[in-house]
Amino acid sequence: MIRTALLISIITIASVALSCSARRSEPIAGPLLLSSPEIAEGRKIFMDHCHQCHPGGEAGLGPSLNNKPLPAFAIRTQVRHGFGAMPAFYENEISETELDSLVTYLKALRQHG
Amino acid sequence: MWFLLLLVLPVAGCFRVSPPDGGSQAQFEGPRTFNAADIALPSSYRIELVASGLTFPTGVTFDADGIPHVTESGYSYGEVWDTPRLLRIDRQDRQTVIAVGENNGPWTGVTYLEGSFYIAEGGTHRGGRVLRVERDGNIRPLLSDLPSFGDHHVNGPVIGPDGQLYFGIGTFTNSGVVGEDNYRYGWLQRHPSAHDTPCRDVTLRGINFTSMNPFTPRADDEAVTGAFVPFGTVTRQGQVIAGRLPCNGAILKMPISGGTPQLVAWGFRNPFGLAFSPDKQLYVTDNSYDDRGSRPVHGTGDLLWLVQAGTWYGWPDFHGLLRLDHHDHFIPPGKPQPPVLLAQHPNQPPKPIAVLGVHSSSNMFDFSRSPFFGHVGEAFIAQFGDLSPTAGKVLAPVGFKVVRVNVENGIVEDFAVNRGRVNGPASKIGGGGLERPIAARFSPDGSALYLVDFGVMTVGQGGKVRLPWATNKPSSEPRRGTGALWKITRSSTAP
Repeated sequence: MIRTALLISIITIASVALSCSARRSEPIAGPLLLSSPEIAEGRKIFMDHCHQCHPGGEAGLGPSLNNKPLPAFAIRTQVRHGFGAMPAFYENEISETELDSLVTYLKALRQHG
Repeated sequence: MWFLLLLVLPVAGCFRVSPPDGGSQAQFEGPRTFNAADIALPSSYRIELVASGLTFPTGVTFDADGIPHVTESGYSYGEVWDTPRLLRIDRQDRQTVIAVGENNGPWTGVTYLEGSFYIAEGGTHRGGRVLRVERDGNIRPLLSDLPSFGDHHVNGPVIGPDGQLYFGIGTFTNSGVVGEDNYRYGWLQRHPSAHDTPCRDVTLRGINFTSMNPFTPRADDEAVTGAFVPFGTVTRQGQVIAGRLPCNGAILKMPISGGTPQLVAWGFRNPFGLAFSPDKQLYVTDNSYDDRGSRPVHGTGDLLWLVQAGTWYGWPDFHGLLRLDHHDHFIPPGKPQPPVLLAQHPNQPPKPIAVLGVHSSSNMFDFSRSPFFGHVGEAFIAQFGDLSPTAGKVLAPVGFKVVRVNVENGIVEDFAVNRGRVNGPASKIGGGGLERPIAARFSPDGSALYLVDFGVMTVGQGGKVRLPWATNKPSSEPRRGTGALWKITRSSTAP
């Protein structure tokens, strides 16, 4: 059962990552509609902490985010604990409320375009 | 737990095992082709090619008639020298040489005021200079012997609202310590005693770094070097390094007729682009640390600063608000955390206006002032693009485009990018689009954004700089005659 879940996860992630471009910026996909204050706030947090390694959610120093179907809890875990070359961001850097907004923004960005 | 790990792995766990894939890592046989349709812009904007065939172009300005003039650098990373030139670009790409410089490039930027051009000369051979160039080609140095013949050079210049000439001077080194990476750049061979100079006195913690010694043929020879001192010189705890002017890692200003330079602000790494906003505030783009040399630093995006007079901006111990020993933020994979070098810091650096891509090389920029062009008050920044892997590993090309920044909230948006499934220079992803945007400047009436494109620069084994004991280290391979000038206009104000 676990093996099957792992296999499905790998195939799903790999297929999405390989098939879908991460490009979501305005010249390519049009302007992102900031449909809620939370998305706007999340974009601000993203610019302060994430954009430098994942410009616009695309790959750069780090891998792309826009074409990875990560659930919210995985994003939160990644941000709080870091992994590999990515540092951890503690609550005095990104508060819980800000992290909620960041996750909402990343979902909106992923679905854009 | 395993399921969670699998979800996270594709996003973060692959940095160490993934090969570098920067925009420089391309094969280019030439000739360069151009196709404006390969460049994506927001709707209602269009881009056209103005000039091509330029060799290492760096800056653009406009004379009183609004005619663009472009500097050709005369030097490029990779230890390639050419002739620095100022060219007038007339219609149909008619190029006229206005002035020819000496073998002391790079000419990194140019501005114009009342019949004269002002050019920043990097000074690879004889030190940096600020030049005044008349329309008849006569060149007069306003300032000489600037400490700018290292990794970075004299940059700018711009005329301020006070009528003074503002310019930047980049640091010799990546992060304060002269190392074998500087030998590989080439300048340490020419200037073996050169080092960074602070603008004010600084007190060291006495941290020293052991590196390979490139001055000897033996691969196992080592040297120990501290901060703000020549290669192979040890520092001690409490040692005071005397500040003086001119220094580097700083912005200075001087009268346009020449005279003694004054310090504006310091603690920058490579303050490349300077521009005054419509409300007369000075902003600067600062190329941040690389993952190279004796004190490598990981994961520091280039910064856009609002310049406050007299303020120290953090180099060599901070990135933005954060010290380099802040938790695990700046640790290069497989290398130690960069230790803080200074015993005391002049001030806590202010918060940057915006944080741009790591290794994006965010360079010269300008503010929109025209409602017709749109985005009034926003900064349009040319991003030269990464030099991976020499400056540090990246997983995908960074930069190679124009971004706009809302300086009120720090939001960064792409403005001009190459089309394609991934970002990158045309020489890597194909097509006839952008290579390396290095300067963005609006026409005097604000209706057009001119974009200087340095041209093709790959990183490979064909460069000239070699260490005697390391023959396979990659270096920059700039290609003559591949530079260009583009122009972006808006066809309507409708969205």
